[in-house]
Amino acid sequence: MNGTKKMLAIMIAMTLLTAVFVWGCQPAKNEQPAEPAQASEETAKNPVAEEAPSEEADQPAEAFVTLTDMMGHEITLEKPAERIVALSAADCEIVYALGAGDLLVGRGEYCDYPAEIFAVPSVESGGNTNVEQILALTPDVVVMSSMAQSEEQVKQLEDAGVAVAVSNAADIAGVYTSIEMLGKLLGRDAEAESIVSSMKSAFAEIEANPLDGTQSVYFEVSPLQWGLWTAGTGTFMNEIAEMMGLRNCFDDVQGWAEISEEQVLERNPDIIVTITMYFGEGPTPVEEILSRPGWENVTAVKNNAILNLQNNELSRPAPRLADGAKMLYDFVIESDQALAPAA
Amino acid sequence: MLEVEHLSVKYDSFVAVRDLSFAVTERQWLMIVGPNGAGKSTILNAISQGVPYTGTIRFDKADLKKTDARTRARAIGALAQNHYVSYAFSVEEIVRLGRYAHRSGLFSSHEEDDAAVEEALEMTGMTGLRRQSLLTLSGGELQRAFLAQVFAQSPRLLLLDEPTNHLDLVYQKQVFALIAEWLKTPGRAVISVVHDLSLAKAYGTNALLLHHGCKVAYGETGAVMCPRHLNEVYGMDVAEWMQTMLGQWKDG
Amino acid sequence: MKRGGERFYGWIYAVFALVTLCVFFACICLGSVWVPLKDIGRVILDAVRSIPSAPEYSLARSVMITVRIPRVLCVALVGASLALAGAAMQGLLKNPLADGSTIGVSSGASLGAVIAIAFDITFPGLPFAGTMIMAILFALFSLLLILGLAYRLDCSLSTNTIILIGVIFSMFASSIMSIVITFASDRLRSITFWTMGSLQGSNYRNAAVLGATLAVCGTVLFLHARELNAFAVGEDNARQIGVNVRRVRLTVLIMVSCLIGVCVSIGGTISFVGLVTPHMVRMIVGPNHKRLLPASLFSGAVFLMLADLVARTILIPRELPIGVVTSIIGAVVFVYIYYRSRRR
Repeated sequence: MNGTKKMLAIMIAMTLLTAVFVWGCQPAKNEQPAEPAQASEETAKNPVAEEAPSEEADQPAEAFVTLTDMMGHEITLEKPAERIVALSAADCEIVYALGAGDLLVGRGEYCDYPAEIFAVPSVESGGNTNVEQILALTPDVVVMSSMAQSEEQVKQLEDAGVAVAVSNAADIAGVYTSIEMLGKLLGRDAEAESIVSSMKSAFAEIEANPLDGTQSVYFEVSPLQWGLWTAGTGTFMNEIAEMMGLRNCFDDVQGWAEISEEQVLERNPDIIVTITMYFGEGPTPVEEILSRPGWENVTAVKNNAILNLQNNELSRPAPRLADGAKMLYDFVIESDQALAPAA
Repeated sequence: MLEVEHLSVKYDSFVAVRDLSFAVTERQWLMIVGPNGAGKSTILNAISQGVPYTGTIRFDKADLKKTDARTRARAIGALAQNHYVSYAFSVEEIVRLGRYAHRSGLFSSHEEDDAAVEEALEMTGMTGLRRQSLLTLSGGELQRAFLAQVFAQSPRLLLLDEPTNHLDLVYQKQVFALIAEWLKTPGRAVISVVHDLSLAKAYGTNALLLHHGCKVAYGETGAVMCPRHLNEVYGMDVAEWMQTMLGQWKDG
Repeated sequence: MKRGGERFYGWIYAVFALVTLCVFFACICLGSVWVPLKDIGRVILDAVRSIPSAPEYSLARSVMITVRIPRVLCVALVGASLALAGAAMQGLLKNPLADGSTIGVSSGASLGAVIAIAFDITFPGLPFAGTMIMAILFALFSLLLILGLAYRLDCSLSTNTIILIGVIFSMFASSIMSIVITFASDRLRSITFWTMGSLQGSNYRNAAVLGATLAVCGTVLFLHARELNAFAVGEDNARQIGVNVRRVRLTVLIMVSCLIGVCVSIGGTISFVGLVTPHMVRMIVGPNHKRLLPASLFSGAVFLMLADLVARTILIPRELPIGVVTSIIGAVVFVYIYYRSRRR
């Protein structure tokens, strides 16, 4: 929790500094004039909405969906959501994992997984969130994350008559909760249950045979060219490393932080995980690390034990965390085996 | 020395100076007079190549448009009416800048420069203030510092744009006396824009009377600044006004 | 002695150079990882004689030779370049609040670099130089655009016109940058990290590029010290004492753009160095550019090296972006200077 907040704080600091408001909890732009108009539009549509209950009047009361979101807001829907807008990349991934991708009528602009999502209309998110844009998609429910969105935005949407569920996953347990929450919203509790249990079993498998705890890992979030950033405690990467018995060599750092190149050399990690994306030109992120002057004595570089996870497997509170953890675990085992005969 | 032929200056569509011709020879002090907006300062700006113009301006037969900045500066120096100073340069530094046009190479001799700077400081009485920052000078001292600069530049033609406009009487007298002194050396000439008709009459050898950018009269001061011309241009009885003003002092 | 006003005394040079050297060595000795002094000497000697160091010194050698020394070198050169560029701009535009960034060149350079990152522009044979070349090209391009526009509006290229167009251009460049980022949201992370400004990962090649640029542009600017003095007194005054106003202004602006373009591409946008350093230096050595330019050069290097030292060591093992440190120090100093100058 603390870690995510810190990370958020850093991100806000970065956006403030660059004056490029992409993330950040900037209070939503004042859209007061537009709001009443939207609200009345919404009431104008109410007759249509009112027809629905009369249709369902003879159905059992269980058809109502009631839940509490991860920020403690009560949400009541008359039936499972059929039109959903999700602003965070992680929530979008969960919606697809639940097999409900076709119910997604809008996505945050930075949502990029799975590839089919690019067919879904994108809306602005974070500090630029445009309430009108979201209302125009007439969603039954909007899912947003507490990290990127503000209370004001939630309130604006609720005032306009749209249900809002806020996800707030700071650790793996939190990811389970948000999967369950979305499952309930979409009426897919069973699917949610199976995703959670498969994640749990994937993690359990790893935990059952942990590494010996002697190896250290360095997570590289930003390459040297832009200044080295790593993931410290309070991040998913750290949690997963701990779970498999790998020591995060920057566990004395909170959240995401820029660290000193000298420190990486001194701490001499056995494994390096870089999440730099590769766009098909120039050296790959792994080649780039291997070619850094002065790094030739780092164990991970000597042993070529560098894993490139390009698709946010380890940085998003989504089901793929389990895949990312498995990839890292297998990578460590494999590179150990590759070294064993040499030793 | 200086020949101006068919000079016209346009600011966008406004014609500030229209088809003006005149000449200045050695030892002359040409006074450019006329009401506000007559285009007096514009002529000086055109001569020092500060505004685009049509027509030709020649100095010693050489077209000033084709003369490089340093050569021009060695021949013509100009003194502005106001100086807005941002940085704390010393008086001596400013005066030394006047030697810019005379130093071509990095390793040229400085002796001539030193002598010119000393002389200019001496002449303007600024020797004692040479280390003083410009920011601490009074208006009169500042004007004298820049006068020293233009003296150090040792041009042959001096352009003065209302040099004493903001100065009190003491400095007015000082500055005009200094310029008259400077002009005594052979081979020199002065063109100045003056508001004060009495000053123009007292110091000028020649005069150019302008109205709305056009020449009204040009020639010897006495002939140009006759009541007929002045009354026409200023639209009032100039001589009578001057006399009334002076009359106040007679009883004292 | 008589010409004291004009000359940059040898001993002032010596003092400034000595201080710069001392700070340089202090910054080399201190860092995130503690390396004992004798090991530092040892690995430097080994590196100079290009012989491999003993295994127990391998970490010290990596840290010192491949990480810290090139970084401190780059920091010093960037600081010197930015301060020199700032001093030249303040003289040229006769405005103590001017800076290379004031005329929009920094924004232009940043835009170039962001475009290079967003669209992955690389140049054949120079895989890592994409941002640098784009930053320099855009610095020059924005300069030409600014000057072209200014010339259209006002053919005498007056100071006010240039500053006004510079401000407008800066805004224009940052909105283009936002658009570029929208189109390249997958590169968002790289762009954000880049705009933070980091001199991490500086290498000797960067230092060589910076050094060469500084040598060329610095020499040209030093040779224009008298012209800059004239501009600092006033543009009209400069014209009347025989300065070729347009040629000098163009030359100085091009030199400043090159300096800023190279610095931005290597270190990102580092604010306040170019603004504050010449200011403080002017209070010590006066406004004469013959003294001001060399003194700014050394002071800029010292200022940025110290700021970088703070950035590197205040939160070990973390690092602060150097721009944050310079902005904090710079803003305080700036307010102080402004307050003092207003009271006078």
